[in-house]
Amino acid sequence: MTDVKTYLREWAMPHVLCPGCAHGIVLRSFLNAVDQLQIDQDKLAMVAGIGCSSRLVGYVDFCTLHGTHGRAPAFATGLKLARPDLKVVVVTGDGDALAIGGNHLIHAARRNIDITVLLLNNSIYGMTGGQAAPTTPEGALASTTPAGNTEPNFDACKLLMGAGASFVARVLAANPMDMTKVMADGLDHPGFSFIEVISDCPEYFGRYNKVGGGAEMLTWMSVRDEGVAGPLAEKRFVNHIPIESVPSGMETGVLQREIRPVYAGVRKVEDHES
Amino acid sequence: MSEGSQGLLLAGVGGQGVILASMIVADALMRAGHDVKQSEVHGMAQRGGSVFSHIRWGERVDSPLVPLGSAEVLAAFEWAEAVRWVEYVRDGGAVVADVRTIVPPGACNDHRSWLRRYPGIDGELFDSRHLKTRLIDATATAEELGNVRAANSVILGTVAAFIDIDNKHWEAAIAHLVPKGTEEINLAAFRIGRDVAEARVPQTAPDPEGFSGPHQIEINHVWCKGCDICSRVCPEYCLAVDVDGKLTIIDAEACTGCKLCEALCPDFAIEISAPREPAVVGNQAAADGSTL
Ligand SMILES: Cc1ncc(C[n+]2csc(CCOP(=O)(O)OP(=O)(O)O)c2C)c(N)n1
Ligand code: SF4
Ligand code: SF4
Ligand code: SF4
Ligand SMILES: [Mg+2]
Repeated sequence: MTDVKTYLREWAMPHVLCPGCAHGIVLRSFLNAVDQLQIDQDKLAMVAGIGCSSRLVGYVDFCTLHGTHGRAPAFATGLKLARPDLKVVVVTGDGDALAIGGNHLIHAARRNIDITVLLLNNSIYGMTGGQAAPTTPEGALASTTPAGNTEPNFDACKLLMGAGASFVARVLAANPMDMTKVMADGLDHPGFSFIEVISDCPEYFGRYNKVGGGAEMLTWMSVRDEGVAGPLAEKRFVNHIPIESVPSGMETGVLQREIRPVYAGVRKVEDHES
Repeated sequence: MSEGSQGLLLAGVGGQGVILASMIVADALMRAGHDVKQSEVHGMAQRGGSVFSHIRWGERVDSPLVPLGSAEVLAAFEWAEAVRWVEYVRDGGAVVADVRTIVPPGACNDHRSWLRRYPGIDGELFDSRHLKTRLIDATATAEELGNVRAANSVILGTVAAFIDIDNKHWEAAIAHLVPKGTEEINLAAFRIGRDVAEARVPQTAPDPEGFSGPHQIEINHVWCKGCDICSRVCPEYCLAVDVDGKLTIIDAEACTGCKLCEALCPDFAIEISAPREPAVVGNQAAADGSTL
């Protein structure tokens, strides 16, 4: 196994993310997946929109494209059509992908274009100061919902299954090994693969909702997953934090996987030129 | 206990192939004409829990269970399992142990006691009982042969040296039971294991400090933001963030190398490297008084 730091632009480190922000954990797991698959650094393009999650592309030593808010799937679609030889990965946030960029995302899924989308869901707009997002749970506090959010929230995976994504999975930033495995599966999948990573924002979501810092947020996200909550309640994951199981019906793992025709799958650059 | 019977214990953790190894032992003993009984317990095998198997053989065996302190040989496929089961071996018996350490993942560790530590690798642990100790890096040997899965055959080779049956029965049992296509590599591994037992090849010495570690904990203070995740999740309480927000190592010796801190550090700021390579010495046989 290669040292994952070889995939980083070390000169750009340390990154700008707040202390304890799980987006960094997600990045490490992703780099492990890239390493597992031995993807050539020059053949991997990472495309992002705007947000703390999207900023990750600034730190990886691949081909990177930092686009405009919500438009990463559109940039990625264009890139993949022009350069089918590249592995194209979108890194996006819940605000980026599900609010302003919702349309781009569902249509990329519908077309089954061969790209991978990593959606780092921290249930809030982190970068702009903790406004409520379409993923903010009902009742949760955000800077725009000081009395608690009154709107229902999206289940991103169900949305994407409905839109026809051929690979849909959900993983937790608190489970880095599982995350790597599912990401490797998603990268390998022919067609549109969507991976929702339950990430966090200790700075705003954690603070407003009195969950705590990075360590507590990791525990908190774990106990919302039914498969993890039980075993965790017996053991202690984060030392000194009592764990109660808080089932929320959230399912993790690969939720949908099917093979169907890939968008423009047969068209090569050469065909286009001739 | 049945008249004239002998016992052997195999122990490892889930996924190591303990059960297959014990089938091979039982098969070899039956080929040699013994009555054999075998019984196994898979702890939390899927989660890397303890898996062990008792085997008794002789002219007639009534129960498969090896009484405490009576086993001829303990074959341990993982170091902590050697320590866990050594009481079953009779004084003067043999312990064949892989020095590979498989530390249970931190998140599932049970750490009610601060004193609980992964046991250090130390062949001398068994000296007071005059056990013949063979510590082998079977995994490395098997890797050199080109298939890690053959590590168990290395161990079996060493075990075979302590059991009085003809070599041909062992080889026949291995060829019969290992997955098709891996017969040759497993037989080669078995023969190396035998050579180790007879101290014909250099062996891995126990770490002189008697610890499986030290795993080296390296902190990049320029990147570390003192977020406290690593120190909170470390099952061994190795780390702490001080009042100035600086991460410090408070117990380097206790690190088991589980790498939970590394995987969960958002800032790529902590790294765990493998324990020092164990030194290779001429032969280990001197430790139990035997000669070359
Ligand atoms: C067109 C446009 N509208 C609004 C913004 C302001 N803006 C920047 S990031 C962001 C939200 C990002 O939230 P999310 O995608 O969840 O990322 P996070 O920071 O939470 O990781 C917004 C609204 C912008 N940059 N461009
Ligand atoms: S604002 Fe929130 S999402 Fe952004 S870096 Fe800080 S903790 Fe992470
Ligand atoms: S998890 Fe990383 S950034 Fe946080 S305190 Fe530990 S080493 Fe520092
Ligand atoms: S310091 Fe890291 S690798 Fe060592 S025991 Fe603690 S969490 Fe595991
Ligand atoms: Mg967000």
